[in-house]
Amino acid sequence: MDRRDPFRHNVLTSGHRACSGCGEAMAARMVSDLIGPDAIYINATGCLQVFTTHNQQSAWQAPWIHSVFANAAAVASGVEAALRAQRKKTPVVVQAGDGGTFDIGLQCLSGMIERGHDVLFVCYDNEAYMNTGVQRSSSTPHAVHTTTSPPGRVSQGKRHLKKDLISIIAAHNMPYAATATIAYFPDLKAKVEKAMGITGPRFLHLLSPCPLGWAHDSALSVSVSRLAVETGLFPLVELEHGELTGVMRLAEQKPVEAYLRPQGRFKHLFDSKEGGVELRHLQALADARIRRYGLLETDTQWDTHSAMQSARHGRGGYASPMSTVEALNSDA
Amino acid sequence: MTPKLEIEPGSSNAYHTGAWRTQQPVYYDKWPPCSQTCPASEDIQSWLAHATEQQWQAAWRKLTERNPFPATMGRICYHPCESACNRKHLDSAVNIHAMERYLGDMALVQGWRHQVLHETPQVQRVAIIGAGPAGLSCAFQLARRGYPVTIFDAQATPGGTLRSGIPSYRLPKSVLASEIDAILALGIELRLNSRVGVEVSESDLLDAFDATFLAIGTQRPRLYSESSGQDNGTTPSHSVMSGIDFLYRLNRGEAMQLPKQVAVVGGGNTAIDVARCARRLGAAVTLLCPQDPHGSHHHDLGTEMPASQQEVVEAETEGVNLRYRVGVRRLVRSGEHLSGVEIAHVDRVHDRHGHFNPVLFAGTEEFIPAGLAIFAIGQEADWQGLGYLSQVGEAEGVWIGGDAASQAKLAVTAVGSGYKAAMSMMATFKNEALLFDARKKTKITYKKMQLHYYPKQSRHEGKVSEARLSGFTEVVKGLVDDNAKHEAKRCLSCGVCFECDNCWHFCPDAAVIKKEGGYTIDYDYCKGCGICAQECPCGHIEMEPVTD
Ligand SMILES: Cc1cc2nc3c(=O)[nH]c(=O)nc-3n(C[C@H](O)[C@H](O)[C@H](O)COP(=O)(O)OP(=O)(O)OC[C@H]3O[C@@H](n4cnc5c(N)ncnc54)[C@H](O)[C@@H]3O)c2cc1C
Ligand SMILES: Cc1ncc(C[n+]2csc(CCOP(=O)(O)OP(=O)(O)O)c2C)c(N)n1
Ligand code: SF4
Ligand code: SF4
Ligand code: SF4
Ligand code: SF4
Ligand SMILES: [Mg+2]
Repeated sequence: MDRRDPFRHNVLTSGHRACSGCGEAMAARMVSDLIGPDAIYINATGCLQVFTTHNQQSAWQAPWIHSVFANAAAVASGVEAALRAQRKKTPVVVQAGDGGTFDIGLQCLSGMIERGHDVLFVCYDNEAYMNTGVQRSSSTPHAVHTTTSPPGRVSQGKRHLKKDLISIIAAHNMPYAATATIAYFPDLKAKVEKAMGITGPRFLHLLSPCPLGWAHDSALSVSVSRLAVETGLFPLVELEHGELTGVMRLAEQKPVEAYLRPQGRFKHLFDSKEGGVELRHLQALADARIRRYGLLETDTQWDTHSAMQSARHGRGGYASPMSTVEALNSDA
Repeated sequence: MTPKLEIEPGSSNAYHTGAWRTQQPVYYDKWPPCSQTCPASEDIQSWLAHATEQQWQAAWRKLTERNPFPATMGRICYHPCESACNRKHLDSAVNIHAMERYLGDMALVQGWRHQVLHETPQVQRVAIIGAGPAGLSCAFQLARRGYPVTIFDAQATPGGTLRSGIPSYRLPKSVLASEIDAILALGIELRLNSRVGVEVSESDLLDAFDATFLAIGTQRPRLYSESSGQDNGTTPSHSVMSGIDFLYRLNRGEAMQLPKQVAVVGGGNTAIDVARCARRLGAAVTLLCPQDPHGSHHHDLGTEMPASQQEVVEAETEGVNLRYRVGVRRLVRSGEHLSGVEIAHVDRVHDRHGHFNPVLFAGTEEFIPAGLAIFAIGQEADWQGLGYLSQVGEAEGVWIGGDAASQAKLAVTAVGSGYKAAMSMMATFKNEALLFDARKKTKITYKKMQLHYYPKQSRHEGKVSEARLSGFTEVVKGLVDDNAKHEAKRCLSCGVCFECDNCWHFCPDAAVIKKEGGYTIDYDYCKGCGICAQECPCGHIEMEPVTD
């Protein structure tokens, strides 16, 4: 048991095999430390599952099961029903990539929500099938270069648009669905805590940059995720029973180019006239999202500046770490 | 019966991902531009950090390690530190001098005493010539470390030019006197009315002391000569005077009667002080400045006037009439009395060799009526009676500092030179190498910081007195308590960790460990991604190549 850090559990501990600078590893580390070790984690197939449980060595310091690629939400439904039958209150958390959520896992997820299971589903969206070598998914944004959507004569990267998943989820009369990302820890923390306080199905959609698949410098994972929000391409929103109940206002709208430039997956857009058209298309998509969610005018608790401000002696950490670590020790 | 697991999973901790690394993060305390620029090398970040926690006495102690004059410097220093402050790239510089003054004033009110660092007395005796900021700073550093120190000064009161030159509306005499008393309380001997070379001979001094610090300042005014504009001749009279004589007399408490109109010549801080004092004595004042105004100087020829911009603004506010790029052609007299000065456009003040040699353009003459012309055109060290000391150096046990030695004639430069001389002397006494701060090696600019992590906050200022021209009472007030608390928090802590938790939150590998009072990197697992360094707001983390 890793007890190096007196201020958090390290539910997802060191020694995992994620690439250097992996945004998915960072996101999962934050989420699992906010929830704590007293929960059951179910993981769909994908990078997170593979890099945390390599070679019979687990990075999880909490109960954890690997389902298969498609059925994580179904496994979670079963676990939750069994706990309910035993009158146990242990939280159940599903973790899946965008492939395991937007594509192959969508049917099981829809069923889990529709049946009202008390489960938090967390999608770590790195916008492609990364674990198998960067294939496009229905979450891959328009014009992105993946191994199955190479730029060429026919298209400048992926021809189709990114699926609007949060609207599909919200349309289930969903108690709580929200988007978040690693760059805004206080916002992420507030959303995880809010989700954990609600009974019933809940959904968190976390943008998780992938230095390998997005081809950006490993040091830039946080910066890139911040720019996704600041440009309007990835709006941070909360939806309760289908209604928009919260947005992160943009203190200042950045041009999409600021987000696209550092990423190799958009490099081809800067090399040709056709690419230039797609740049304008992506800017128009960002503008449309900003209009749709009122990201420039809505009066909100915080905005993209205030939500990331540092303070002396931290910005508040993880849920009651000492008590849980002590509890863990007494179990052992 | 519970079925037995075929495989018992182990922990990933057994696998050291640190082996993947090609670069690694290292925490470094760096040296911010404020401290780099402060001529006294104050550790500004550090004392502001104490102030942020409202540990006022600790802040004052940290500050006075390098500068025992916070109440004084907080008032009169032109604060080059603030021009360098990284915060100006976010909104506006931290009001460092106001915080310095706040701490200095608090120390005077609370009666805080300086601490002696070494209880055991040292043997080497040090003579200091001049009780200005340079001499007092040197004496302070030596006395704190147990050395017996004697200061000689020609004047009847200590303080040097701070006392004799600077008007009390900028620095009340009582503030300076209290800070000097606190320094002398360390057990320093002060011999007043003792001009070395006159009342005390050089040889007596050299016999009695192991080392000497020359801090004689620049007390001799450069005078205006009507024949050549050169530095010789004209004796002061009731209608022509030097700026420092005027200020010395005023600061000694002499009641001065001025004519209705006064012309002040010069572009430095002394000229501005003279002009503002003359305004307070009721005269209409024209300042004849040979240089260009701030921000609009002629790039080929002229230079910007040397006076601090803030002082110029104050002078204008108080009704001083400023004329730029003008020089004095001649003094216009009627009998004994001065009726005014004839001025003309100055093309150039100094010649190619840097000598004062103004070129005035014919046909641009103008008459400025004035019953008194005060020349504040520079001053120099008075070496009278110091023939031997002026020739020798550190090898002979003689150090020099302050205005007598430096180009930048600033009080805080004098303080810094006193510190350096004391350190150098002590290293010589102990036969040790002189050590400099390790932190100074790594500098930090705003480009290496992430300014977007800091909230914007406007700067707090001291209030300006309404009744400014009615006498010599202090013009600028200190910060009120609440503002001081907030102003301290505006410091970005450039290059020094302020425990924001960013590196700890963002490390994807849980390789940053948070402990009470700090963070460590667990190199067994750090993959060297560089996120921690990238997202550290203050640039405390450096990525270095892995060598082995
Ligand atoms: C009008 C005026 C305004 C100024 N305003 C500012 C300001 O606002 N901010 C700022 O930073 N700087 C200011 N300065 C500059 C500042 O005062 C000087 O840089 C500083 O005082 C220099 O310190 P010092 O210790 O080298 O010399 P001084 O302060 O000049 O002290 C030298 C001392 O040595 C004594 N002395 C000289 N010869 C002998 C001898 N042979 N034997 C014994 N004693 C001797 C003198 O009596 C004097 O007390 C101003 C200067 C002037 C003239
Ligand atoms: C039914 C099935 N089809 C294909 C695979 C191969 N496979 C494993 S992981 C993966 C991609 C996972 O993508 P995503 O869910 O986005 O997670 P990521 O690796 O990007 O985090 C695929 C296609 C599989 N394990 N099972
Ligand atoms: S491929 Fe991407 S998501 Fe997978 S471990 Fe590497 S960085 Fe993380
Ligand atoms: S922000 Fe603070 S540490 Fe940085 S330069 Fe300004 S005063 Fe110095
Ligand atoms: S964020 Fe973590 S893994 Fe990356 S360089 Fe820093 S300590 Fe190493
Ligand atoms: S990121 Fe924050 S906690 Fe880490 S070194 Fe920088 S200032 Fe300190
Ligand atoms: Mg994926």
